[in-house]
Amino acid sequence: MAIIETADLRKVFRSVKRRPGVGGAIAALFSREYEEKAAVDGITMSLEAGELVGYLGPNGAGKSTTIKMLTGILVPTSGSISVADLVPHRQRLENAQNIGVVFGQRSQLYWDLPLRESFALLRSIYDVPRERFRENLDHFIEILDLDEFMDTPVRQLSLGERMRGDFAAAMLHDPKIVYLDEPTIGLDVVAKEAIREFITQLNRERGTTIILTTHDLADIERLARRVILIDDGTIIFDGPISRLREEYGTHRTLVITLADSYEDVQVEGADLESREGNVVRLRFDRRRTSAEALIRRAMERYALSDIAIVEPDIDSIVRRIYREGYTEGAIGSPS
Amino acid sequence: MSVVFSRPRFRLEPYVEFAKVAMAKEATYRFDVFTNIASVLVRVYILRTVWVALYAHNAAPSELPLHAVITYSTIAMLMSLVMDIDQTRILRDSLHDGSIVLDFTKPMRVPLYFIANGTGEVLFHAVLMIPALALALFFVHIDVPSFGTLAVFLVSFLLGYSVGFCINFILNCTAFWTLEITAVQFIVTWITDLVGGELVPLVLFPAALQNVLVVLPFAAMFSTPLLIYVGHIPPAQYAGALGLQAFWLIALGAVSVVMWRLGARRLVSQGG
Ligand SMILES: Nc1ncnc2c1ncn2[C@@H]1O[C@H](COP(=O)(O)OP(=O)(O)OP(=O)(O)O)[C@@H](O)[C@H]1O
Ligand SMILES: [Mg+2]
Repeated sequence: MAIIETADLRKVFRSVKRRPGVGGAIAALFSREYEEKAAVDGITMSLEAGELVGYLGPNGAGKSTTIKMLTGILVPTSGSISVADLVPHRQRLENAQNIGVVFGQRSQLYWDLPLRESFALLRSIYDVPRERFRENLDHFIEILDLDEFMDTPVRQLSLGERMRGDFAAAMLHDPKIVYLDEPTIGLDVVAKEAIREFITQLNRERGTTIILTTHDLADIERLARRVILIDDGTIIFDGPISRLREEYGTHRTLVITLADSYEDVQVEGADLESREGNVVRLRFDRRRTSAEALIRRAMERYALSDIAIVEPDIDSIVRRIYREGYTEGAIGSPS
Repeated sequence: MSVVFSRPRFRLEPYVEFAKVAMAKEATYRFDVFTNIASVLVRVYILRTVWVALYAHNAAPSELPLHAVITYSTIAMLMSLVMDIDQTRILRDSLHDGSIVLDFTKPMRVPLYFIANGTGEVLFHAVLMIPALALALFFVHIDVPSFGTLAVFLVSFLLGYSVGFCINFILNCTAFWTLEITAVQFIVTWITDLVGGELVPLVLFPAALQNVLVVLPFAAMFSTPLLIYVGHIPPAQYAGALGLQAFWLIALGAVSVVMWRLGARRLVSQGG
């Protein structure tokens, strides 16, 4: 049975249209023109308990707005939501007990307090049994390496340290569902890896259902099997990441290094992607041209000192979808 | 394994914890605290000098002899130690920086969280009134009324404090609609100082003006408890005076609830 379900979920923001300048500000006092914007425009999705789903989309696509509605802090304009059999915005307090939230852009820790005291406050808010609290805390201190700065005021922590603290804070009450909105933003590679490991464990060992938004597709590659892609408030893809790769990862790149200088480089069956000095990148559709044939043609025409074939990474796949839009059966229309 | 959560029952514990933390946090700004007490004592001293000079050159008003007015001013300054705190500033701050969104993801009554925080801060400052009072008794020789009057004063002070708390909460609630509330807050503080009887006892105002001012909520904050302390409001008028304060508390409490509801509704429909 689905743990999270939305049907035709919409959120329309209404804001006062502003005209520039003092005149505009004065005019706005008397007559207000409103602008409407559908940030989320008919999203229907369903998550099973224990799933870890990547929720992707370009800036302004409506990801954070969706998450805010799922947490119950934003009331939908229309459509329905059910999270663990509750309607989040109607049963905010009950729903809050079930969920954990990490917003990479903000912290839920108390700025003036050391982590230890923030955690104690959270224990009391969520009414976590003391025994369970201690178990969880010990566990998180160990795997997130919080020991050194448990007694430092949060204000003095580095971003990476604070983020680890935030993760522990969001999980102390054993939430069934966790929403992560850009949780790795601004972190270095080591910290990102630690966070990813933590998320994996949470999902595997505790069976926590997780929705993750991120602009770092390495997060998705590493963590999610299923992705939901949205753009302009609507879902453009929902399925396993492997399908995305199959449908959109049809282009490979042949990278050749020229041993001589040539003016124009052209190889039949491939498009020039870029050229930097002697390094030339050629894009080709693997279903139309074989790598072997392409290499042969290139070697016939040019003297080469190096050859490599680059497989498309999820980054370039998603970049392409953001740029061109997603069309079912993109396979048939190589560009 | 699934954990079944029943409908959350109300627990006071987290709010007590918030208040404790806020209290401890205030205590860490020790320098602030000492300058605060010092500034109160300086103001008491200056006011005393002013009153002495004024009374020396004018006919003393029969309502309030010199020692009474000095007592009045000193107690007013001590009261301001807790009355002048922007108790629910944290509401405005979390609307400003958007962190209120996270407050709403927790299973807590958000307004109670803000109120608990403010109460904790105030309790710390209330403790400070004790040394300040001792110093005032020692240096200024203020009058000390009978035990009964003192008890009524304390009740009246508490009512006045609560009225002030509501006004502060209402002001900070306006941050739901506009983030530029410093000017409004400044004006309200200024009006309170002027017509609440904190600096100048209302009995020294012209009679016509007095009649208007005494029924305003600002008088309920300062003037009423102070006039009870100095004995200007006699026991026969206690019920009326406290009743008026209670009326303002209920009225402004109701406005606070409405403001919060409207603000929160706007927040959940417009987003942070
Ligand atoms: N409170 C609001 N009032 C008006 N418009 C809003 C509000 N919040 C969001 N929007 C608009 O709704 C759209 C979706 O915003 P949202 O924050 O959900 O995007 P997002 O997918 O999370 O983007 P990002 O990747 O940049 O975080 C944007 O165009 C944004 O400007
Ligand atoms: Mg976002």
